[in-house]
Amino acid sequence: MKDRITKPRAAAILGAVILLFGAFNLGLYRLFTVRLGTNYSDVSQVKMVDVKRYLPFESGSELVKAETDFRLTDELPVLDGAAALVPVYASVIHSVYPQGSVTYEGGAFSDDNYYGENFAPDSKMQYRNTLRGYKAIVDGDCDVFFSAAPSGEQRQYAEEKGVELVYEPIGREAFVFFVNSKNPVSDLTREQIRDIYGGKIKKWSEVGGANRFINPITRVAGSGSQTVMEAFMGDTPIAKKSPLSITGASIGYSFRFYLSDMVGNDGVKMLSLDGAYPDKQHIQNGSYPLVYPFYAVYRADDPNPNVRKLVDWLLSAEGQSLIESCGYTSIK
Amino acid sequence: MARKRFYGILIAVAAVCLALTVAHFIYDFVAYQNCSIIYFISREL
Repeated sequence: MKDRITKPRAAAILGAVILLFGAFNLGLYRLFTVRLGTNYSDVSQVKMVDVKRYLPFESGSELVKAETDFRLTDELPVLDGAAALVPVYASVIHSVYPQGSVTYEGGAFSDDNYYGENFAPDSKMQYRNTLRGYKAIVDGDCDVFFSAAPSGEQRQYAEEKGVELVYEPIGREAFVFFVNSKNPVSDLTREQIRDIYGGKIKKWSEVGGANRFINPITRVAGSGSQTVMEAFMGDTPIAKKSPLSITGASIGYSFRFYLSDMVGNDGVKMLSLDGAYPDKQHIQNGSYPLVYPFYAVYRADDPNPNVRKLVDWLLSAEGQSLIESCGYTSIK
Repeated sequence: MARKRFYGILIAVAAVCLALTVAHFIYDFVAYQNCSIIYFISREL
């Protein structure tokens, strides 16, 4: 064996190693990294609610003002909620609370403020989203929490603390599945969705699409959409994904108004389910099959009398009209 | 170039490339936990 290697040969080998790693990382970047918008990037508004768009009493906010004489002036309940319901409870405050009851302090991210939406401690509007919000209502940090149904763990947390929560249905919303807008598939059945997430269907070609793997994306445990998805799957467990699925075309799920209006990303499209597209008409006439109630949740022992008054108003014709005007479907 | 020296350089270069690739994976793993699913799907190839 020779003790020496020529310089051109050494340079070629080193170049090949660098090129190999470079090509791998470039591929990973194009396939995956470029799609990872985070809280700290300029795409943060796609992930979460831009609360500044929904601040009560601010000019230019996108809130609905209810036609009502109902007003709360003191003992104001603290309202909090899920991301998808910020327009609803912010519109409630905008319509029936006095000016000055909300103090927004801007959005600095921290370990305690994952969503970067700070409200002053005495503000009657808060935004903790579902994961932190159910804990807040049990711990007494807010009075009325607007959300989808709680997860088993969230119910258990209330039981462990000896807190009885009242879940008052105040509106309905469609649970939707979505894909990239260029995906040729536009309609699936509920059974196909269960088979996709249950691991039986692995390729889009099995449901009339391209010959690509399906990447079924799930959400964080305890989030509103994940809790609804688990209920939808019933006895079928959500299967572990194949590592190859990441190279395929994805499918995800969310709530209709959040996806189509609050986020409004043209790069994705909602799927019809059993032939019905999730628009207001198909929700109202019952042809879209996945419509779930959302709730005003409060502690049964909350001493503030205005909590129940506010919930009763939400169930009145005026309150239900407000929910419709916000883009959701009334409960009645 | 002496073969022994070349191997030393080769191992060092490969180690740096590997470290950068591992860092890339770690970044992706952390960012995926915090990314928008809607954005993730909208930017699909």
